[in-house]
Parts: sequence; structure tokens; C-alpha cells
Amino acid sequence: MTLTGTLRALFAGTMMVAASGWAMAADGELVLGALLPLTGPAAPIGIEEQQGVQFAIDQVNAKGGLNGVPVRIVFDDSQGKPDQAVLAFNRMADLQDVPAMITAFSSISLAIAPLATRRELLVVNPAAQTDKLENASPYLLNTIPLVKDEAQVLAKYATANIGKNAAIVYENAAAGIDGRDDFKKYFEAAGGKILAEEPVEFGQTNYRSSLLKVASVKPDFVYIAITQSHETMADQVGQVPGFPVAIGNTFSRPFFGYASTEGWYQTAIQSGYPDDATLEAFKTQFDAEDMGFFAREYFNATNIIIEAARLVTKDGASLTGTTLRDAIFKIKDFNSPIADIRFDTNTASRPVEIQQYKGKERKVITTSTASSAQ
Amino acid sequence: MLYVQLIADGVVTGCAIGLVAVSFAYFYATTGIFHVAHAGIYTLCGYIAWYLTGLGIPFILALIASILCGALVGMFVQVTLYQTLENKGASPLVKLIASIGVLTTLQNIVAIFFTPNIVQFDLPWRLNSLTIGGVWFSVPQILILLSSVGLFAAVVLFSKYSKLGKRIRAVASNPGLAEITHLNPQRVFVYVIAISSGLVAVPGVLVGVDQALQPYTSLIILLTAVIAMIAGGIGSLGGAFVMSIVLAVIQSLSVAFVSGRWSIAVVFAIFVLFILIRPEGLVRRKFSRAI
Amino acid sequence: MNYFFSFLVLAEIFSIVAFSTNLLMGVVGIFSVAQAAIMGIGAYTSGILVMMGVPFPLAVLAAIAVCAGVNLISSLPSLRLAGDYFIITSFGTQLVATAVFINWSSLTGGASGLSGIPVATMFGYSFVTASQFAVLSTLALCLVALSFWLILRSPYGMMLNAIRLDEIAVVASGRKVLQTKIGVSAVSGAYAGIGGALYAAYISFIDPVSFDIHVSVLVVTMVVVGGARTLAGSIIGPFLLLAIPQALTLIDIPSTLVGPIRQLIYGLLLIAFMLWRPQGIAGKSL
Repeated sequence: MTLTGTLRALFAGTMMVAASGWAMAADGELVLGALLPLTGPAAPIGIEEQQGVQFAIDQVNAKGGLNGVPVRIVFDDSQGKPDQAVLAFNRMADLQDVPAMITAFSSISLAIAPLATRRELLVVNPAAQTDKLENASPYLLNTIPLVKDEAQVLAKYATANIGKNAAIVYENAAAGIDGRDDFKKYFEAAGGKILAEEPVEFGQTNYRSSLLKVASVKPDFVYIAITQSHETMADQVGQVPGFPVAIGNTFSRPFFGYASTEGWYQTAIQSGYPDDATLEAFKTQFDAEDMGFFAREYFNATNIIIEAARLVTKDGASLTGTTLRDAIFKIKDFNSPIADIRFDTNTASRPVEIQQYKGKERKVITTSTASSAQ
Repeated sequence: MLYVQLIADGVVTGCAIGLVAVSFAYFYATTGIFHVAHAGIYTLCGYIAWYLTGLGIPFILALIASILCGALVGMFVQVTLYQTLENKGASPLVKLIASIGVLTTLQNIVAIFFTPNIVQFDLPWRLNSLTIGGVWFSVPQILILLSSVGLFAAVVLFSKYSKLGKRIRAVASNPGLAEITHLNPQRVFVYVIAISSGLVAVPGVLVGVDQALQPYTSLIILLTAVIAMIAGGIGSLGGAFVMSIVLAVIQSLSVAFVSGRWSIAVVFAIFVLFILIRPEGLVRRKFSRAI
Repeated sequence: MNYFFSFLVLAEIFSIVAFSTNLLMGVVGIFSVAQAAIMGIGAYTSGILVMMGVPFPLAVLAAIAVCAGVNLISSLPSLRLAGDYFIITSFGTQLVATAVFINWSSLTGGASGLSGIPVATMFGYSFVTASQFAVLSTLALCLVALSFWLILRSPYGMMLNAIRLDEIAVVASGRKVLQTKIGVSAVSGAYAGIGGALYAAYISFIDPVSFDIHVSVLVVTMVVVGGARTLAGSIIGPFLLLAIPQALTLIDIPSTLVGPIRQLIYGLLLIAFMLWRPQGIAGKSL
């Protein structure tokens, strides 16, 4: 193939992409986008999130859509890479003409935030927690409190009730590092002392040397901030004699239920289950044993966008990023069995619980909301 | 005590990586193909064994089945891909890129046909443990130790004394001569890839039993093994195995002295210095193969 | 048509980095899998400087200078090491660079990256949208391609080719091989620096993952698929390899398997390409 031949083929391909895209957008339907990490090390989480979104859309359409207009969702794979995310953002914005997009992953959300501002397109983030998301864009809404909100609650509780000498095990990625820094800040401010901090890599499955080192400095407790592979870490904690009690964050849920994690604590963003019928429908549709945390959060976040879209169409306005965003701030309170979410700022304020693993239950010890002043 | 346990842990990890390094080195030294897809076979075999044990098949049978599958997939890649490329006169670099294609394909086959999730074997005994001389080991770790040392010894003996082993060495040292003396290098390459792919299934499965399985992270394990191979001296199976253990112990121990976030950098800094001072590797062998 | 232009910009940036790799690998025969790390150093240098208020053109120049220097230093071991060893050494360079990007967090923002890098502004013009930025990236690509062409055509280029084919003969004929190799490394680094600076300005967010080993491997793949040692190859490769995933988004795939299936097709296409045209699309035999 000659150079010009190749270029012509490429150009023809791109035109085809464009043409088919325009054809799709012309139909009478609301198209939403979801930009999730569907391959790569974060794929397990991305796929759970995808199920949550897909389920919400299917439920809406089963009930007649948005006042009779069907809702369609376009998924795109960010691979967890910012440059792919920028391409995918433009692809969805240009070809599918989506007014709103659901995102995941701190780096992805930060990379598309300036584009959201520029193109006035609503981006809803139900999972990434890095603190920088707070002011990344006026069009970026976080339905989950950020790392610092949880760390603040946790550090306060730990200094008062568990001890003043801590060690930290954190995932060497945005969420883990923010967790480490924020916890350290609030913990030291409350008079605590960090004896050791050990990183683990995203996707790693051998934690033994890190766990051994952390245990060897004999802290009162260990703060663990990882987002996956908890089962493996729980196994290996059981293999380190005399491992201290640990505390974790919302992501720590899978630690529950192991002999080695008995008596551990975690903060938890209050996140309940939908009603039984909905839950069963989810389990049947995806052949799943449970509706996981991310599935529930993405289900709920999708519903928030739909609710806002309802208000916009009721008022007879056109569905754009700006009208959707304004509608969300106008509705302000979104209460569902999954969560009570309130938007005073771009980041939802939600109650944070401290739970302790006791036998077969996660016992709620206290509930509080982080002061947004700090 | 912390140090002893860290060393013990490093030795086990090193043995598993050592088997990856030895199997990779065996194929690489014979064919000169930078067979990155080896990492894909490692992953695939782990998931096959996981799937079979999930069906209730006894673990030992699942392990054997995954070894066989690994060998078959390896042979398939050699016959359909590497051999075709060789006939077309492709450079080693082109074979490397094709191998990256195979790796991507295998990883995603695992994600599509099994699961993209991190999974653990449902085997109650995998959490049992033993204490030997005050040092703690899990049962799968013991299996990794024994099987790695055993298989390593077997490969060395095979290469040295068996007829096929000698034939492989003859092909490796002079492919051109092997061609005209009817040693049939292309057929030998198929045997070699079958052996090395079968071997890599063992750490692929056992590390999965000990820790967990992941579809997308085996490349880093392979690259660590490749570093060990080079530091040990390409062409020396013993050098590759020993260096794997040395590197893993250094990495495990380094956690006690520097923050773990620099441990990869430490290992590599040592490696680069080592290579600059002693480019022929730990075991002096004459070997030059441009890629 | 922002989508089209954002694709164009990204492909052009990767073409620039492909030129950098092509110069090292295809022309001199230094096989490096660390070009993404060098690009990353350029991106961080220019991103950090612009955020400190340094004008964009100056920041780009700084990125070029830093990258030329770093690439030169990281290529030094290749003067002593043969093929296989240098690949792994460069792999080490890549991992160390990633560790530095992640851990020197006071400067680089750590794993959570550097966000809010200001829009590129030059001579009173702001390059905000993808279509505006495309002007800048096209211009940069043309400059890089032109200099690449000139280097290949010059007597200097002839010597580079000779070094790759038979280094000992070149040494024996009394040419200064060392200086030549060092010079090329610096130019190659400068290309990567330009690519990195443009990337940071365009995406406005950079993090260590954007410049990790997978990106380096991708760039090498681009060069080989396009055709090593050719000017057209360094452009065709990146455009093609970035276009394939885009074209794959058109195929209707059950939503839960979307990602893995696309990646699977990508892997199979890569194999097919190598079987069909091992020398690369625009390539001479490698």
C-alpha cells in the first residue's frame, strides 16, 4: 500500500466513524456516556461499575424511559490512561453528542475535567476520591466524599480510641497516596505518630514483606489504604504472627469476614442496598452473587442524572450539560435506599460511619459527617 | 527474625521467578526469539488450573492439564507464528512485536473466557502452614520451593545428558551447522517451546494458589526474570536461576532498609551497575545475539 | 470535529516520539524501551515550568534541553553494551524514571499526577481547542520530520547507517563513532522532549502512567509496524495503531466484554501485520 493509499483509507475510515455517529444521534433518544477502565489492572472494578450503570439504564427503559423517550448508554474503555480518556471524551462528545458522562478513576477524571469545562458537559464521578477532584471543574460532580473527608473522621476516631502510634500500608496510586497523606495530616495534627509507611503496587499479590516490616515496628494499629486484592492481603495478614489491628476506608469492605481481620475497623460511606426486588433483578441479570459497592454507587449515580434529566425535560428545556448540572443543584437532595446525597458544593456530603468487624457483622460504632470547613 | 523471614520469603519468590527465567532462557538461548508471550502462557495456565479445580477436578490433575495446555499453546505459537516469520526472514525485532501481539491476545482470552477479576483458588489446604527452624512457610510456598528446585535440576540434567537435550544444545550453539547436518532446528524449536511452556505453567499455577491470579500483570514477572537471565549470563540456566533468587531476596530485604517505594529502583540500580562492570553476566559464557 | 482533531493531535505527538525512537533504534541500532520515560521527562519539565509562569516557548526549549541531556546519559551504557543488554538497561531506565515520577511527589504531584497545566500560548495566540492545537502539533511534526530527513540525507546520516551495519569497519576507517552516537542520542532526546511538552500542554494532565513501560513498548511497536528507518513509517505507524482502537469502537460488542474483546482484536491485528508485512508498512527489510 502506498502512503497516499494508506492515508486515504484512514481518512475514509474516520469519515465513516463520523457519519455513523451523526446518524445515531439523530434518533429520538437520550444518549449518556460512561468512560470506565474496562481493560487493564483496574478492569475488575470497571466492569462492576459498568454493570451498575447498565442496570440503571435497563430499569429506566423498562419503566418507559424518560417520559417515553428511551435512554441509551455508550460505554468506552479508558484503559485507565489519561490520553485514551481524552480521545474517548471527544469521541462521545462529538459522535454521540452526549450531554453527560459518568467517569471513574482519579487520573481519568482529572484529565477530562478541563474538557468538561470547555465543552460544558456534565461529568459525574461516583468512585474516584482524590482531593484534587474537588475544584477540578464546575461541571464535575462527585457523588462520593473525597479521601480527606474520610481520613478526617478516621484520624479523629483512631487517636481517641485505638492509639497514637500508627503504621500505614498504602497503594502506590492516586487513591492510596491521598489516603496516606490525608490520614497523616489529620492524625499528626491530633497528636499521633506514624512509625512506618509502606507502599504496595496496584495489582500486586505478594504483600508479605511489606506486612512483615509494618508488624515489626509494633504500632498500635495499621492504616491500610488499598483498592483491590483485599482477600489476598487478608490471607497473608493471617500468616504474619502478631499483626496489629488495622483500620481502613470505604474500599476496605472485602476485608470483612476473615479470621485474620476480626476486630478491624473501617470507615464506610453509608451505602445501602436497593429494595429486594431490584436487588434480585440485578443478581439475575448479571448472574452475580451480590450487588457490590461500585455497582450500587454507579446505579445510584446514573439514577441521579436521569432524575435531573426528567426535571429538565419537564421544564421543556433542552438537555445539555449546563441544564443537567443546574437541575442537580436545584433538586439538591437525592434520597434513595442506597444513599442520602446532598449537593451543597460539587462534592456530595454524605454521612461516614465507623464500623468494626465483630464475628458475622460489621458493627456501626459511630456516624459522622466530615466538616467541610477543613 | 524479621530478616530471616524476609530472606525466606525472597527465596520462595525467587524460586518461582527462577523457573520463569530458566524456561524463558532455554527458549531464548536456543532460538534468539524474545518470547514475551511466555508471560501470557504463565497467566493462561494459572487460570486453566483455577477453572478446572472449580469444576471439582483434583488439584494435581488440574496442574498436569494446565502444563499440557501450556505446552500445546506454546507449540502452536511456534509452528504457526515464529516458524512462518522465520521463513519470511523476519528480524528478531519483528518476532518480538508479534510476540507482544500474542501476549495481548492471551491475556484478553483469559479475561473473556474465564474472568477479568482477581481470583483465588478454592482449595482449603492453601492456607495451611509449616514452621521450619522458626521460619514460617505456607504449604503452597513449600510446593513452589520443592517443584522449582526439582524442575530446575531436571532441566539441567536433561539438557546435559539426554539425547534431545544435546541436540537442542547443538542447535543453539550453531543453527547454521545444525541445518546442514539434519538436526532439523525448526523441529527442535517446537520441542524447546513445549518444554519451556510446560515449565512456566508450574509457577503460573502455584503462585496463583499461594496468592491470587490476575490476568494483566504477568509481564512484570517475566521482565524481572529476563533481568535475572541477563545478569546470570544468557545461556547459563544455573546463572538465571541463582540470579532470580538473589534479586528477589535483595528486593524483599530492601524493604527493611529503605522505604518499599524505592525498592524497584534499588534493584535496577544494582543491576545496571552490575551489567556495566560485568557485561558477560555472573557466569562467563560467550554469547552474542543482536536483536 | 473536535474528535477528529484530538485524534490528529495525539497521533502527531506520538509520531514525534516515534521519530525519536526511530532515530535511535532504526538508524543507529540502539534499541531502547525507555523513550516514553524521556517523553515523560519532557512533559513534566515543560508542565511544571508553565505552571510556574514560564512562557510556553521557553518551557518547550527547556524540555528539549533536559531531554537531550537525559537521553544522552541514558544511552551511554549502549556504547559498552551489546543489543540484548542495552534493551534491559533501558528497561531499567524506564522503571527508575517511573519510580521518580511517582515518588518525587513534591515536584511531580506523585501518582495522582499534575493537573491543570495551562493552555499553550505562543506569540499572543492561545491553542485551546483540539483544532487550534492541531496547527501547533502539525507544525512541530513537520519540523521534526524535516530535520529527520535532513539527518538521513546528510553525510552524517550515511555514517549512522554504516555504524548500524558494521560498526567495527567504521571505527577502522578512522571515523568518530562515539561522537556520532552521542550526537544522535541528543537529537533523539530533543524530539522526545518536544513530544512530551506538546502532550502536557494538550492533555493538560500528566501522571506517571502516561509514560510507563507500556507506552514505551507501544511506541516501539508503532515504529516497527510503520517501518523502521523510514520517514513515512514514523508517521504511518502511530496513526495506524491509534486508529485501530478507534475503529474498533464502531463494532457492536456486548457491553460487559467490550474492553477485553477490543484488546483481543488489537492483539490479533498486530500478529497479522507482522505476518503480512514484517518489514513494516513503509519499510525496507529490517
